[in-house]
Amino acid sequence: MKKVISLSINGDQYEVLVSPNQTLLEVLRDQLGLMGTKRGCDLGACGACTVLINGEAYLSCVMLAMDGVGKEIQTIEGLTQTRELHPLQEAFVKEGGIQCGFCTPGMIMTAQAILNEAEKPSEEMIKRKMAGNLCRCTGYKKIVTAVMSAAGQAGEEV
Amino acid sequence: MKLPKFKYLEPTSVKEALSLLGKEGSAKLLAGGTDLLVNMKHKIETPSALVNIKRIEGLDYIKNEDGAVRIGALTSLKKISQDPFLKEKVPALVQAASKVGSYHHQSMGTIGGNICQQNRCKFYNQSEWWRSTNGPCLKVGGDICHVVGKKGACYSTYCGDLAPALLALEARIVLQNKKGVKEETLEGLFSGKGLAPLKMKPGEILTEVVIPEASLQGRSSYRKFANRESIDFPIVGLALWVSPEKKEYRAAFTAVDRRPLRARAVETFLNQKDLTEERIEEAGALASKGAQLVKTSLYTTAYKKKMMGILLKQALKETTRGYRS
Repeated sequence: MKKVISLSINGDQYEVLVSPNQTLLEVLRDQLGLMGTKRGCDLGACGACTVLINGEAYLSCVMLAMDGVGKEIQTIEGLTQTRELHPLQEAFVKEGGIQCGFCTPGMIMTAQAILNEAEKPSEEMIKRKMAGNLCRCTGYKKIVTAVMSAAGQAGEEV
Repeated sequence: MKLPKFKYLEPTSVKEALSLLGKEGSAKLLAGGTDLLVNMKHKIETPSALVNIKRIEGLDYIKNEDGAVRIGALTSLKKISQDPFLKEKVPALVQAASKVGSYHHQSMGTIGGNICQQNRCKFYNQSEWWRSTNGPCLKVGGDICHVVGKKGACYSTYCGDLAPALLALEARIVLQNKKGVKEETLEGLFSGKGLAPLKMKPGEILTEVVIPEASLQGRSSYRKFANRESIDFPIVGLALWVSPEKKEYRAAFTAVDRRPLRARAVETFLNQKDLTEERIEEAGALASKGAQLVKTSLYTTAYKKKMMGILLKQALKETTRGYRS
């Protein structure tokens, strides 16, 4: 049965009419127009749909929208509230961590989740935790460099 | 990919969840959702209702009680993989939790959900369109198991990472139903049947995992061989627990049978004897004894058997380093 739910996304409250079988990804993209979160495999295997739920990396394609009630949802659109780029975004641009750009929002949200957990993550930790985000342009090296640089570890051996 | 329709229920207590489960014929519990929702997208699981138990307070904890470790069913894999006490005392469990899927799956997934995950098979974990060419297999309402081409039994494989670690630690589980609370061995939860891999009755909830005190005194490790380290289910997984002082050994495999499997032939062979290089080799040869391997993935049974021996030998060597004569 459809139900009006209230979702807290990027600090704003949204009232949305949703069905139980709608995923958070579907509601973000198709109902709220937040197209930054990408639909990749849609089976929880590629990381393109990564959003932050209470600061942790979640796959929005295998999470029910109704499950998001009462949680802080953050998407790539809410990474920064100003017109300036977020340090992670800036680092991805500067280091060339973007090719076609499709995986980028998921990559950046996962990187943010890592930084929420560890201020200065090691290269090994970044590689391990970002391994679930696939980049079919295979630009992994520069992505890792970008995250290291955003974490203030620029210039360290990568 | 659209999820099929279902009734959505959000109990806030175990009691309420049990009463809802009783009312709904084919209801399923929803915890992390990373296994169930994918299966539902593929239409291989189509419950009439989902009972989301994540709103239930007080099932997310790791605590020490009377020497034993008690872990709430809703404790995330990430929390387990980062717990300093578990890291020191039961590295096999921590290693297993940190090898499940990706970082995201570990944030979302729970210990209860990981244990109770559905079995897997190359004919089962496929899209509706892919499966349509073969016709439905036994596990989705068809007549035959495509793996063996026969009627009667489903040969899907249990592929969870935590179960072997917990079996090697001789963990127990707490199940709740309307009649009350019971504690049982984890090993007893698995039926060994592909169609219904868990012996849990409808209307039962797994609420806690208990690691007995004796298992905290020992060395343990988990090894996972998979296609990609980043995300895949194991091709073969092995957990080993060793008490070098008492010369006790417990080994358990995953992804080699319809249930996670204690390697009892290996244990009997090793227990109470000194571990030498020769005995490690001989133990490796016994690794696959008792496992009913069938080809449910892209890997042949011969390959898997060989890997079981290799993983066991590696684990024995590493876990007993400094103790061997």
